[in-house]
This record gives sequence, C-alpha cells and structure tokens, in this order.
Amino acid sequence: MIINTTILSWVTFIYFGSAIFYIFRTVTGKEFFGPLASFIALAGLIAQTFGLILRWFESYKMGIGHAPLSNLYESLIFFAWTIVLLYLIVEWRIKSRNLGAFVIPFAFLSMAFASFSPNVNSRIQPLIPALQSNWLISHVITCFFGYAAFTIACGLGFMYLLKGLEKEQSSRPFLRFLPGREVLDELTYHSIVIGFIFLTLGIITGSVWAYSAWGSYWSWDPKETWSLVTWFIYAAMLHSRFVSGWRGKRMAIMSLIGFASVLFTYFGVNYLPGLHSYF
Amino acid sequence: MKKIILSFLSSLKLTITLLIIIAVASILGTIIPQQYEGGESFRHLGPGLVKAFNSLQLFDMYHSVWFIILMGLLSLNLIVCSLNRFPTSWKLFRKKPSLDRSKPFENLSPDRILVIEGNPHEVIGRVQNLLQKRCKRVRKKDTANGTVFFGEKGTYSHFGVYVIHLSILIIIAGAIMGSLLGFNAFVNIAEGESTSTVHLGRQKGIKKLDFTVRCDKFSIAYYDNGMPKEYRSNLSFLKNNNVILQGPLLVNHPITFNGIRFYQASYGSIPGGQANITVKKGNDEGTTIKIKQKDSFFLKEKDAKVKILRIEKNLMSMGPAVLISIQTPESNMRFWVFKNIEKIRDSIPGLFKKVPKFNPGLFKPYYFKLNRIESKYYTGLQLSHDPGVSIVAIGSYFIITGFFITFFSSHKRLWVRVDEKEGKSRISVATTSNKDPVGLKRETEHLLSHFKNELG
Ligand code: HEM
Repeated sequence: MIINTTILSWVTFIYFGSAIFYIFRTVTGKEFFGPLASFIALAGLIAQTFGLILRWFESYKMGIGHAPLSNLYESLIFFAWTIVLLYLIVEWRIKSRNLGAFVIPFAFLSMAFASFSPNVNSRIQPLIPALQSNWLISHVITCFFGYAAFTIACGLGFMYLLKGLEKEQSSRPFLRFLPGREVLDELTYHSIVIGFIFLTLGIITGSVWAYSAWGSYWSWDPKETWSLVTWFIYAAMLHSRFVSGWRGKRMAIMSLIGFASVLFTYFGVNYLPGLHSYF
Repeated sequence: MKKIILSFLSSLKLTITLLIIIAVASILGTIIPQQYEGGESFRHLGPGLVKAFNSLQLFDMYHSVWFIILMGLLSLNLIVCSLNRFPTSWKLFRKKPSLDRSKPFENLSPDRILVIEGNPHEVIGRVQNLLQKRCKRVRKKDTANGTVFFGEKGTYSHFGVYVIHLSILIIIAGAIMGSLLGFNAFVNIAEGESTSTVHLGRQKGIKKLDFTVRCDKFSIAYYDNGMPKEYRSNLSFLKNNNVILQGPLLVNHPITFNGIRFYQASYGSIPGGQANITVKKGNDEGTTIKIKQKDSFFLKEKDAKVKILRIEKNLMSMGPAVLISIQTPESNMRFWVFKNIEKIRDSIPGLFKKVPKFNPGLFKPYYFKLNRIESKYYTGLQLSHDPGVSIVAIGSYFIITGFFITFFSSHKRLWVRVDEKEGKSRISVATTSNKDPVGLKRETEHLLSHFKNELG
C-alpha cells in the first residue's frame, strides 16, 4: 500500500469518530461532545488534504502525474473532502453544531466505500487520453461541490422531518435541541442554491469537456441526462418556493428526492447502458 | 379564451408539469437503448413492442417530435411568463416611494434609532454624504416629522430572473440552430490514404467535403502498465492537391478546418498485415524477414517452401500467432507459431507432446520465432459542424451571471429620518428588502455603526 492510501484510510476512522461524537452530542444534549467532534473533523480534513496532496505528488513520482480526481476512488475521497469542508464552513458561519450528526456520516460513508469496497481500485492509474483535460478537473471540482451542498441540504431535510416529530411536551430532549424550523428551512434553501449553482457550473464545464473530447457538447448519454434530471428537480423545487411559496416539510422532502437523484447520477448511471461511464 | 390560454401558458403549474414530464422521458431514454448507440439490444423486446416503440420514436427519443414539442412548450411557457411579469418588475425597479409616509418608521425597534449630540442641521449634511456613499439615487425631503432620506441598492436584482430565463432560451435556440444547420459525421482513413467523403451520423447518408483529408500516420503510445496514453493521427488537409494545414490530431485536441471540427474518435487495424519472423538454426543468429499472408519463401538447404497461411492477432486468447506450412519433396507439415510461446509452454506442461502443432521447432533443425505482427492502422475521425455552439456558450455565460444577480443581490430600500429630540439629533433607520433578510440585517447594522462612528 502506498502512503497516501494509508493516510486516507485512517481519515475514514477519524471521520467515523467525529460522526460518533456529533451524534452523541445530539442524542445526549451534552455540549461537551461538540467541540471535540468539530476538532476531530477539522483534524481529519487537514489529514485528508495532506493525503490528497501526497497522492498528487506520488502520481508525479510515478511519471503519470495528474490531479487526484480521475477515478471512482479519487472521486469518492474528493466527495468526502468537499462535504467536510463545506460542512465546517457552514458550522462556523451559523455557529451551530447540530448539523454535524446529519452530514459527517455521509463523509464517513463515502470514505469507507472508497477505502474498503473491493470494487473500488485505490491504485494511482495513468490517465487514458479522453481524461487528459483541464476541463475534466474543473468539471469534477464543481460537480462535487454541488453534490456536497446537496448532501448538506439532505441532512437538513432529515433534521427538519425529525423536528416535525416533536410534540409539545412528550418529545425527547434531542428534538428540542435541534434548531427551529424556520432556521432549518432557510438553511436548506441556501444549501440548495449553492448546490444548484455548482451543479450548473458542473454541467457547463462537463459540456465543454465533451465538446473538446467527443465532438458534441451534449449527446444525451445517461450521465448527462441524469444530471439534467437532477437539475430539473432542483429547478422545480426552487420555483415552487419562489412562486408558490412552498416551505418547510415539502422542501425537506424535495431535498431528499433531489439527493436521491444526485446519488443516482453519481453511482446508478453505471448500471445503465452508456457511451462513456467514466469509471 | 385567450386569457385562459395565456394564463395556462404562463403558469408555474405548467412549468413544473413540463419539467417532470421531460425528466421522466429523459430517464426513459436512458433505459430504452437509443438508435445511435448501435442498439441491437432491443431485439428481445419482440416485434410488436418494437413497432409500437418505433412509431412513438422511442428509439430516438431526444430527437422525436413529441420531445421537441415538450421543449417548445417549455420555451413558450418561459416567454409568456416573462412577458407577463416584466411590467411588474419594471414598476418595482422604477418605483419612487413617497417620502412623506411615516409608515416605515412605525414600530421601529430601539436599536435602529441613534441619538447623537448636536443640532439636526449640523448632522443632516453628513448623513446625506454617508448614505450617498452606500446607495444610489438618494432622495431627501423635509417633512413635518423631520428630514427623510431614501436610498436604494440592488434595484437591478429584479431582472436576474429574466437574465436566467433568457439564457435558457438562448441555449435552446443555440441547440436548435446546431441541429438544423450543423451535422455530425465520421470517417475511417487508412494510413497513407485520403478521402473527401464522410458518412453522416444521425441524418444518415454521405457528405462530400470540399477538401481532402489525408492520414499520414496513426500511432498509439502506451504507459508502462499497458494502458493507452495517446492516440495520434497525423493529418493533412488538402485543397486542389495543395496541403493547406497539417497537424497531429489527439483526443481532447480537435483540429478545425473550414469550419469543421475533427476529433480523434477511434482506430483499428487493416486486416492482413505483416508477420515479422526470425528463422533460426541451432544457436545461430537466424534471419529475420517480414512477410505477408499467403506469401512464401524457401529454405534452400532442405529444399523447403515455407508459406504463411494465416496471420492471427489473437489466436484462442493466446496472443498473436501465424500458421505456417512447410513443403519439402519428402513431407508436408503445418504448425502454429505463437509470439508468446514461452509463456504458453510454461503454463501448459507437456504442451508440445499433446499438441505438436504448437511447436515452433517442429521442422528440425529449424526454429521459428514470431517477433510481432506489423499491421497498418486506420484512424477513425469524428467530424462536427455546429454553428450553434457559440450561442450556447453565450447562454451558459449569462445563466451564471443571472444566478449571481438573482441569488446574491436583493433590492434594499433604506429610509433614514433625522429629527430633533431634546436638543439632540435622532436618527432613525428603517430598511426593507425583496428577499435576503440576513443580508438586509447586515446592511442595516453596517449603516448604523457607520453613523455612530462618523457622527458620534
Ligand atoms: C428550466 C427552465 C425554466 C422554466 C421553464 C422556468 C419557468 C418559470 C416560470 C413559468 C415562472 C413563473 C412566472 C410567474 O408565474 O410569474 C418562473 C419563475 C421564476 N423562475 Fe424560472 N424557469 C426555468 C428556469 C429557472 C432557473 C434555472 C431559475 C434559477 C434558479 C429560475 C428562477 C426563477 C425565479 C426566481 C422565478 C420567480 C421569481 C418570483 O416569483 O419572484 N428559473 N420560471
């Protein structure tokens, strides 16, 4: 095993620890776990950044240098990285740790899938000609920031629905601990806007890449089509908010549906017949 | 009637319905194999279903009449809605609220009110200056309740939606233009050959170019682990037998000639090719020759005629091999010579006993060695001419601009009133915004702290 994959598989455990502390904090209502969880998440992020940079260097040492964004393993790792980065920014901006229990587990799952699934090859591979493009790099970065923002929206949606279970008195302490519904709703909306902008950028940069590699900026292959479907879902969601004023529960459910579509765009598409499933 | 149609066409319900229908149809298109994917795979559906699918154009869904109608409806929806809304937005943009109203200042929370030493007359000028630094179109009026200023920011934010919607229309227009005026084609050219006719893709048929493309050479480079690193075609573009442009064509680096973009799409090798063979006797160096299928040569010492019957790139998954026949006055024999014979022999113990035909030393005392099969490549080029691309690019650019206007700006209105209270100046700040309450709060607090620092 090369050093970077060792570091990255350790990061999986770090995120696991962080997720556990966030969940402890939310369930027990003891603030004590909060700073610990944040600190571990930040440490994990730093270690992961280091691991990614190291992987980049190692690929150059092997003479096949390229940014670590080129296969399923690297994309899963990057996905986790964007989730944690975006999450920590949100935590810092809203000065609340409630969201962690709903978001950091996704980062852990992505890392665990990358590190331990037998179907995911963690070796540094050279780039086949079609992938040798700077547009690919911008495409992957924008897409995954979008996906991460949608992941956060999905976590918020979950939280909203959980909060909906709260009854006046009988409720468990941790439900009362969660932020108010308007706050959640507003945050969901902001995450989706950020995700939507990045998804749009991702589709545009992907088209530019396709235009320089395959001769057509849009060829309705399953991955492209599903990203458009995802775009439509979120566009419909934003419109129902802007124009019909949909809020709250409906938005929460839509954010789960949207996220399901994101996941399918990312993973499911590989089970469909297609021209270029990239990994 | 006209009204009903118009309100239907501009309704958000229609938008959402269309988005859902298009999404579902697109998903179907990723499940039903589409024609250009070489779709033999829909045979199993049965002839009846295939016929039904065919008449609904389900095998070329994204170009079918009904899909285009759906897209057209979506565009119409966008246009009608935007035309409907525009006057309202324009009014909001132009609106100049009356400064006499005291309504904005009713129920103002105490932290939006500053009391400052000094007479209002001394303060007013500086308030105006500070406000003008932060806002456009500051207006001032002396009312019975004091001097009222009004300023606004981000008035353009009302137009973000139109920028977005217009960009979508521009993108759709560019796509339509591309599919009407553009074409896609492909052609295979063997090394050293040239052509000026290409096969059209979706439109089917043949297209004659007004120039000639020649493939001078095609080559592949590999990484150490055997993965392909580079596909390269050296192309020449000729007009009237004069080379106008010459260059290497690589994946991700298309070449444009005469408004047509050329892409490295595929490659292959021409059947046949040459075998590079070494014939050894004992431990000598041997002689190496290149020979084509069906050709033969003589081994004088034995009066033997050696003929290459077949050249196989990959025989029984064991790699390159040639079938050799040897005729001497005494005997006739045939055997295969594999390139990887050492590996094959090691993995199957006793191979030459079991299958003497695989023994490259069958014709004693000679030993045949296949060094490689040299084949001639052809390059597969994809051609595309799409006059709509720049329009789509402009639309993409504007849609992002529109997002920033819509999501990150808001129309903020600021009312500031200065009046006298017990010999001091009282400054009241009231603000409203069409969206983004958080940003509004920040803006208001900024303004208040500005006043406090500069005037206090
Ligand atoms: C997919 C193509 C789109 C279609 C067909 C479409 C259509 C519409 C329609 C019909 C309305 C309602 C107008 C009304 O009832 O007054 C609307 C409003 C709106 N759309 Fe779109 N839209 C599209 C894409 C987008 C996108 C990508 C955005 C940006 C996220 C966007 C942002 C808005 C906003 C902000 C409003 C209403 C704002 C308000 O009510 O103040 N639209 N759109």
